[in-house]
Amino acid sequence: MEAALAFVVSVFFAVAIYLMLSKHIIRILLGVSIFGNAVNLSIFTAGRLMREVPPIIPEALQTPDSAIANPLPQALVLTAIVISFSLFAFLLVLAFRAYQELGTDDTDGMRVAEPEGEPLPPLGY
Amino acid sequence: MTADGQWLTFLALLLPFAAAAIAPALTRALHHNAAWVLAIAPALIFLHFTGFVGPVSDGETLTGGYAWIPSLSVDFSWFLDGLSVTFALLISGIGTLIVLYAGGYLKGHEHQGRFFSFILMFMGSMLGLVVADSFLTLFVFWELTSITSFLLIGFDHSREASRRAALQALVVTGLGGLSLLAGLLVIWSATGVNSMSALLATESVLRDAPLYMAALLLILGGAFTKSAQFPFHFWLPNAMEAPTPVSAYLHSATMVKAGVYLLMRLNPVLGDTAAWETILPLFGGTTLLVGTLLAVRQTDLKLMLAYTTVASLGLLVMLTGVGSEKAVEAAVLYLVAHSMFKGALFMVAGLVDHESGTRDVTKLGGLRTAMPITFTAAVLAAASMGGVPLFFGFLAKEEIYAGLGFANGWTTMLTLVALAGNGLMFAIGFAVALKPFLGAKVETPKHAHEGPILLWLGPVVLGALGLVSALFSGVSHELVSSPMSSAVLGEAVTVTISTIPHIGMPLALSVVTVALGVLVFVMLGQGRAAMAGILNAIGWGPDKGFDQVMRGLTRVSFSVTNLIQNGRLDYYMTATFIAVAAAVLIPMGLYGEWPAVPSMPRMPFYEWTVLLIALIGLGAVIYARDRLTAIVSLGIQGFSVALIFMLLGAPDLSFTQFMVETLSVVILALVMTRLRLSPTDHRPTGEKVMDVAVAGTCGAALGLMLLRVTQVPFNSELSDFFTQYSRVLAHGRNIVNVILVDFRGTDTLGEIAVVMIAGLAILALVRVRSVKPIASKNGEG
Amino acid sequence: MAAESIDISDAMVIQPTTLGDWMIVAPVGVPILFAAILLMVRHETRLHAGIAITGLLLTLAANAALLLQVLADGPQVMTMGRWLPPFGISFVADALGASLAFVATLVAAVCALYAMKDIGATGRRYGFYPFVMALMAGVGGSFLTGDIFNLYVWFEVFLISSFGLLILGSTERQLDGATKYAILNLVGTTLFLTATAYLYGTFGTLNMADIARRVDAVRDTGPLMTLAVLYLLAFGMKAAAFPVNFWLPASYHTPRIVTAALFGGVLTKVGVYALLRVLVMMFPVERVELSGVIAWVAAGTMVLGIMGALAQSDVRRVLGFVVISGVGVMLAGLALGTEEGLTGTVLYAFHSILAMTALYLLAGVMKELGGSYSLHELGGLYRAYPAMGAFALILMLAVAGLPPASGLWPKILLVQASLESGLPWLALAILATGLLTTIALGRVYILAIWRNRPEGAPSGEPNARPGLGYVSLALLCIPIILLGVYPEPFIRIAETAAAGLLDPSAYIGAVFPVEAAQ
Repeated sequence: MEAALAFVVSVFFAVAIYLMLSKHIIRILLGVSIFGNAVNLSIFTAGRLMREVPPIIPEALQTPDSAIANPLPQALVLTAIVISFSLFAFLLVLAFRAYQELGTDDTDGMRVAEPEGEPLPPLGY
Repeated sequence: MTADGQWLTFLALLLPFAAAAIAPALTRALHHNAAWVLAIAPALIFLHFTGFVGPVSDGETLTGGYAWIPSLSVDFSWFLDGLSVTFALLISGIGTLIVLYAGGYLKGHEHQGRFFSFILMFMGSMLGLVVADSFLTLFVFWELTSITSFLLIGFDHSREASRRAALQALVVTGLGGLSLLAGLLVIWSATGVNSMSALLATESVLRDAPLYMAALLLILGGAFTKSAQFPFHFWLPNAMEAPTPVSAYLHSATMVKAGVYLLMRLNPVLGDTAAWETILPLFGGTTLLVGTLLAVRQTDLKLMLAYTTVASLGLLVMLTGVGSEKAVEAAVLYLVAHSMFKGALFMVAGLVDHESGTRDVTKLGGLRTAMPITFTAAVLAAASMGGVPLFFGFLAKEEIYAGLGFANGWTTMLTLVALAGNGLMFAIGFAVALKPFLGAKVETPKHAHEGPILLWLGPVVLGALGLVSALFSGVSHELVSSPMSSAVLGEAVTVTISTIPHIGMPLALSVVTVALGVLVFVMLGQGRAAMAGILNAIGWGPDKGFDQVMRGLTRVSFSVTNLIQNGRLDYYMTATFIAVAAAVLIPMGLYGEWPAVPSMPRMPFYEWTVLLIALIGLGAVIYARDRLTAIVSLGIQGFSVALIFMLLGAPDLSFTQFMVETLSVVILALVMTRLRLSPTDHRPTGEKVMDVAVAGTCGAALGLMLLRVTQVPFNSELSDFFTQYSRVLAHGRNIVNVILVDFRGTDTLGEIAVVMIAGLAILALVRVRSVKPIASKNGEG
Repeated sequence: MAAESIDISDAMVIQPTTLGDWMIVAPVGVPILFAAILLMVRHETRLHAGIAITGLLLTLAANAALLLQVLADGPQVMTMGRWLPPFGISFVADALGASLAFVATLVAAVCALYAMKDIGATGRRYGFYPFVMALMAGVGGSFLTGDIFNLYVWFEVFLISSFGLLILGSTERQLDGATKYAILNLVGTTLFLTATAYLYGTFGTLNMADIARRVDAVRDTGPLMTLAVLYLLAFGMKAAAFPVNFWLPASYHTPRIVTAALFGGVLTKVGVYALLRVLVMMFPVERVELSGVIAWVAAGTMVLGIMGALAQSDVRRVLGFVVISGVGVMLAGLALGTEEGLTGTVLYAFHSILAMTALYLLAGVMKELGGSYSLHELGGLYRAYPAMGAFALILMLAVAGLPPASGLWPKILLVQASLESGLPWLALAILATGLLTTIALGRVYILAIWRNRPEGAPSGEPNARPGLGYVSLALLCIPIILLGVYPEPFIRIAETAAAGLLDPSAYIGAVFPVEAAQ
């Protein structure tokens, strides 16, 4: 089953990276969101997959009596989801503000920090 | 060395720096008379080192010092023999006179205190250099002399010529410094020792080592740049931009001799090979000729002296290269003579400039009545420079010719070179010393009169010393020349040349030299014109080359940097992801870490469906015609991921994914409706192909790696632990929650911090508006 | 609950937590606490500076105590929740982490001081000081954690804080720079996370000491070379190595100068630290295989970095490239992998943190006194402000690797290490970089400090009082000169750090003490 997931993960990564290579910020952000999902799936798959049985201990027992899904990657993914969402939200607002101030969402047009046609530094002494 | 002697020497080495620290304050209080007080420091140092003259002339060598950086085996240690003691005496003795001279020369200058400070710091650095025993201590002081020289040359920093000269000196000697560092490290590696005293005891180990050539070339790189050998000579004349005390001290008597010092110091272990005896005379001789010929062209007193200094350094290197007993003795004598007469002549030139307002030899004349003391000192110094009998310079000249001779073609050529060089230097020396003073009085910008004692004391003392030391040559040789020659040769020798000329070949050559010198002196005007013509015809020189290199460096850097860092984000991202693809695929391929071909997974049909929906969602995001479709597709792929989680036993994860995906879609939609965006993301075909290739390769690489990883036998130790103790010790049934809150609670702490900071950052983004300046929007940081 | 006899020592740490153990988490806990306090008094902007500086000084004291303890007793360990390592998250303070944390907190405190002048009321109200505290919590956590996923979390903490600092002020340049910075760094940390996913899948554990002791056993079955290269790339991005350092020159010159100072000094060094920890301690065999690649990366970074500096007109952009060049020199030591090389890298890290922060602060003072950041417009500073000329000289010497400042001895160490490892070309690259740095900063010195102000250029504030700037610079120049003139104690610390990386038995032994009864 890991093989199927690995294939899906590779498509996720490919699509995400394709979007992130765009010149438009919003498309890049779509790519960022998918990129995050791709990584989360990677973490989840790396912990090895197990169908359907969630890692919850039944009421009456101290430890589970059957095989359960691996709990550790799930915790890691939860942390990762929250963190990447926080970053995504910030990036979104940043893109919005950049559009407001710079007037464009095309990164080729965002040349304030590294302007085109910068002069040489003074060549004399 | 006794404990007291060690402590005193340590103090002596630190004293210049201490004096430098108080110099500005002292100058504010005493003005130019602070020179008298500050000169006490070098005078005391001179006295301290005279105490070593006795033991050293008896053949003793003294070492001492303190541990400094034991981890790197670097000690703050010193090594005193004839060579280092002589240099120390020259540095401190001439330094005393220079400090006084600076007091008079810069009288009234607002930054005179700073000047004293820099000169004293230089003195301390140079002193440390010549007595240093540990390699890296020598290197530290070597670099310190370059840095203090930079500060001194650029002292009048509002003029571009000064700044240029300062930077040029720093870069050229800095380059040499790096070469020296490498050379010293190579010597350390080859011989296993890292101090001069230990190195001199190793005798032929270095000469026979395979790394000998590397060490030699690197050391020569350091020595030749510092001592202005051709083609690295061009910085020295430019350093004349510095005030004259600097020119007299650093760029004639002391700093530029550091390279010669190094060569003399290392002669016992690096010398006596074919390479040494070829390379050094070659470069030295060339420098001698080039320096004197270029000197002929000059009319500025300081430049005439500067170029002859270049030539003198060439002569010293040449003689050290020849390496025979007489040649080395000649080098020693000439070095001492040169320090005395050149320092004096520079100070005379500064005096003339200071009092009359010009340095141009064609515009000076008849000052002998107005400045008699200066004239006397000038004549004394020039006589030594020209090698007139009764002066120390004459002893040096005789020894030079005795050391070279006509034994074979090589030495013959060297002798002829020396002859020509010495002759030209005779002419230039007397041109500087006589032309401003003899003849009819010429009107000068300032009304010329004799300078104050602070200014003429130095040249008079040095000029007289050139005479006295020769008259008492026996004493001079016993105290200075013989110990220094012995140190350089690595064996005890006695210098015997006396003031009374002996009839012989050296004397004949001296006569020829004088004749040549007189001839050139008389025809100096024509000679100058001829040289000017030749140089204009050639047109280019290393000095111009330096400017070209500097400009070229900036231009090339500019082009390369703009190529790489071109300001476009998509280019940056493409480059990064190409690196990612390479980083995963290349090692996988090279080290055979490919995954094994997996068996076809057996999954129920609904699982296949969910995976398919995810893939469709992804495709839809890319091909979406408008933004809204793209967002909806994003939601689809996100929800299908949530479904995957659900199906594979992660309900908490699924729930969180649903929520986060919904939120993402909602805020994305909110933001995008407020922006007026271009409808599609159209990429030109070439770019599209590139992007697809990069993205596809990366995706495949990362997927393959994931597959490979899952094929490693899994270590479930952590998961088993959590499963076992989640309820028992941590009292929770939902193991994932227990991990988040207890077992790995610190992660959650960080995660919450991230959320909090993100919120704060978003608030700052939204609420803070920048105030745009009305005039123009140039970057306000 | 059934009353079973459970041997708790199978799951938890039995020994009580000593005061010294709390020192290990103080560098993270204190900044977070103070960030919270600052948020609570968000509107009392006059109190912010005092509270923040107090917090950073307390953190500095904790770092100092921790460092001294580590130097005396070896690596100190505390596992959160008292769960037995590797099951709980361990914080492990060894010489490397503790010393870097100390120096980083020192420059942060000086920056917090300088920010009293540089950041106005608006900036403070919208969170400058909380961002700084959170940044230092993230940095401290990164240096001290012993768990690789926890390292990712702290990386994200300081990343988001850096976002906040970058955009504070919302000028066009900041937004532009922040966009590039944020997107590229997000890619970088996500790559780190991906690599960690692979590492977890291969090893099954996240504890660094556990990974270090298992790595030889896993080597036959796991794709360790690919994993090592992926970590090299991910942390290389963080450290601004060539060819993935685009984000730094695109953004470091855009925010307030005190932010740039903090970034230039601290952030890239966290990346270098992570490279050292992962490649030298956890994957030593792979590092040896990769040493050729790392050497080329190092040489490329250092040379292209300094060429970038030569090409700039804006002093802040010059400094950004000088930071990159310094990272290249540090990577040279990583490439060599010998004790001497690694000592050089760690010592260079100390120097770079201090010198780069000081240089950015100097640029800030130059702007205040000279009216501009551009070499086309600066001038006449020495004449008017000789003290600044002195600071500028010291810092120029420091970064060019000249005596008597801090850059000299790490450079010598690295050159010697290169020669002894049989890589003379790498030694040549380091020396050439030193010369080019001398040229680049020498030109800045003569143009900005010595040359008279060009006609028509803006002038500085007429009644400028650079006192706070001078104090900040002095506080940094003192350790810089100390490192140059008496480097022995620092070299000792760097040596201990390097030895601890090459032979992690002390580190592993501190986390997993060998029980008497096995």
